Amino acid sequence: MAPDATTTPKEKAYRKLNTSKLLRDTMTLHILSTKQASQQGRLAWVTSGFPVEIPVAFDVTAAYPEQYGAIVGSEKCGPLLCGFAEELGFSQELCSYARSSIGSVKNPQQSPLTGLPTPQALLACNNICGTVLSWYEAVSEMTGAPVYLVDIPPLEGDQPSHHLSYAKSKLEGLIKFLSQTFNQDYDEEKLIQVAELSNEAISLWTRALEACRHKPTPLNCADRFLSMAPIVALRGTQQAISFYQAFLAEVQDRVKNNVGAIVDEKVRLLWDNIPPWFTIYNFFNTLAKKGVSFPADSYTHAWSANIPRGEILESIAKVYSNVYLNKGLTAKIDKMCSLIKDYDLEGFVLFSVRSCKRYSLGQMVTKEEITRRTGVPGVIIEGDMVDSQQYNEAQVETRVEALLEMIV
Amino acid sequence: MVTKSTLGIGIDVGSTTTKAVLLDAKRNVVTQYLLATGASAQKSVQKCLDELRKSSQQDLTVVPVISTGYGRRQALNAIKSVTEITCHSIGVHHLNPEIHTLIDIGGQDSKVIRIGTDGRPLDFELNDKCSAGTGRFLEVMARVLEVSINELGSLSLKAKHPSAISSTCTVFAESEVIGRIGTGESPSDIAAGVHKAMASKIATLSQRVGVKSPVSVTGGVALNPGFLYYLAQAIQTELWVPREPQYTGALGAAILALEGGE
Repeated sequence: MAPDATTTPKEKAYRKLNTSKLLRDTMTLHILSTKQASQQGRLAWVTSGFPVEIPVAFDVTAAYPEQYGAIVGSEKCGPLLCGFAEELGFSQELCSYARSSIGSVKNPQQSPLTGLPTPQALLACNNICGTVLSWYEAVSEMTGAPVYLVDIPPLEGDQPSHHLSYAKSKLEGLIKFLSQTFNQDYDEEKLIQVAELSNEAISLWTRALEACRHKPTPLNCADRFLSMAPIVALRGTQQAISFYQAFLAEVQDRVKNNVGAIVDEKVRLLWDNIPPWFTIYNFFNTLAKKGVSFPADSYTHAWSANIPRGEILESIAKVYSNVYLNKGLTAKIDKMCSLIKDYDLEGFVLFSVRSCKRYSLGQMVTKEEITRRTGVPGVIIEGDMVDSQQYNEAQVETRVEALLEMIV
Repeated sequence: MVTKSTLGIGIDVGSTTTKAVLLDAKRNVVTQYLLATGASAQKSVQKCLDELRKSSQQDLTVVPVISTGYGRRQALNAIKSVTEITCHSIGVHHLNPEIHTLIDIGGQDSKVIRIGTDGRPLDFELNDKCSAGTGRFLEVMARVLEVSINELGSLSLKAKHPSAISSTCTVFAESEVIGRIGTGESPSDIAAGVHKAMASKIATLSQRVGVKSPVSVTGGVALNPGFLYYLAQAIQTELWVPREPQYTGALGAAILALEGGE
C-alpha cells in the first residue's frame, strides 16, 4: 500500500524508501560473494567506470574500492583510514578514495568490514580519472595482484574512428589478461548475454531516474546515491535486475500516488559531483526540512548509458569511451543544462570535491555557463567526499542558504 | 500576509565583531551598537540588545529581530536568520541604490556580491577557506610591523617603493614580512606591499563574479585607506564606501525585520 501523501505533525521531512531493506540485503549478499570469490581466487577490484561486463563474462566477481570509500565515508572513519595511507607517505592532496583504500589494505583490522577481500586482479579504466592507475599500482605492490589498465584517452566532441579502435584494442588486451590470470577461455556469447543483463538493469535504473521529472520528485539525492550501489557493483547480473524491478515499482507507485521523496517540495535543485558521504543524510535532510529537493544530479545519471547493438567489443568500447567525465567540459555542461530543463530545476549546487580533481575541474566556468544558458542561479560549495577534515559545515550552509535566498 | 513593523532590529554576529542596528518605520537609524564578539556570541547579542534598549529608551521586547553573520543561529530571539550575503546586499542598496558590485571584507572571510536592481544578490563568491584576503591577514601584519590596525593603512600610503610581498597566505606572508624587515625595507614600503598583495587577492575573487561599476566596499577593512587605494588600483575602478561600512549587514537585516522577515 502506498504511504499517505499528507503531512502529519510527527512525519519526517524525508520519506524512507521501502526498498531500502532490499537494497541492504542485495549489497550484503554482494559483499559475501566478494569474500567467497576471493577465497576461490576469482576476485577483481574494479574502478567505477570500468567495462565490468567483460570480467563478469569470465565469472570474475567485481569489488569496487570507490564504493568501499563511500562506506568508509558513511562510517565516518575517512580521516582514520586516510591517515594510514599518509603514514606510508601518500600526500593529503591525493584522492581520499585512494587514500582510504590504501589505508584499509595497510590496516584491515581497523577498517570497516575489515577492508575489501584480497583481489587476484586490479582492473583500472582511466575514463573517470588518471589517479586510478597509480592507486591500483600501489595496491598491487601491497597485495601482489596484477594491474590491467584499460587506457581510454580523453575525448572532445565526436569520437574519431582511431580513438574507438584504440579503446577496442585495450578491451582485446583485457580479454587476454583475464584469460591468462583466471585460466579461462573467452566466450563471446556469454559476454553478449552479460551485456544484455547490464542493459536491462540500466534501463530500469534510467526509468527510475527519469521518473524524478514528476513534481514532487519520487527520489531525492540521497535516495539515488544509495540506490545506485547495484548499478555500479552488480551490472551484468540478475541480482541488479531484480533489485531495480522492485525499486522502479516503488518509484512508479510514488509518482502514481503523488508521494514525494520529501514531504513538502518547494524548491527543486540540481546536484553536481560525488556527495559528502560522511554527512549525506544530514546535508540533504536538513535541506528537505526547508522544502528543498534534488530531483536530478550529474553523478547518478552517469550510469544510464546502454551498450548499443552491434559488434560487442566495439559497442562496449563506444559506451565506456563516451562517459562525460572522459569528454570535454562542454559535454558535462550540456548534460547539466538539459537536466535543469527536463526536470524543471530552479538552481544548482556544484560540490567542489577536493579529492576528485577530474570531476571538479572547471566548475567556476561551468557555473557561469549554466546560468548564462538556463538563467537559473547556482553556487559552488567546497569539501570532500570521504575526508571530513576538508569540509566546513557552517561555510557550506551559508553558501546554500544564500542560493535559496536568491531563488525564493 | 507580511506584517510590517514600526521598528526593526538587525544583528550581524560576525567572527570579530557583533553589530546591531535599530531602525524606525522610515528606515532611519534610531541607534546602533558594535562590540567584539568574544567567546560567547549569545552574550554579545544580548549585550547589543541591552545597549539598543538603553540608548533608544524604548521597550524593544516585541520588536522583530533578524540575525545574520556566522553566528546568526546564536541570536535566539531572532524571528529569522538570513545570510550575510543577502543582508549586506540589501544594506548597501538602501544606502546607495546605484551600487552593482559589493566587496565586503570581514574579519574571517571576504565576499564579492553582484546586486540586482531590487537590492537582492544575483551572484556571489566567498573566500572563507583561509585568512588570505580578510581582516585577520591585516591584523597579523600590523602586529609584525608593531603598529595598530588603525595605523596600518595610512602608513602604507607613505610608501616610496612598495615591497613585493608575493604570498597572500597569512602564515607565509608573515615570514616574508619578517624577511623584508631583516633586509632593512621601511615599514611603510612593507605595509604597502601587504595591502597590494591583499588587494590583488580580492581583485581575483571579484573577477569571478565580474566587476560592474559602481562598486562599494563594506566591512571593517573598508575603513582602511591603504587597502582602498590599492584595491581601486587593482580593479581599476572608483570605490564607494558607506560612512559606517561595518554596519551594512546589520542594516540590511534590520530592513528585513521591518518587512516582517520577507
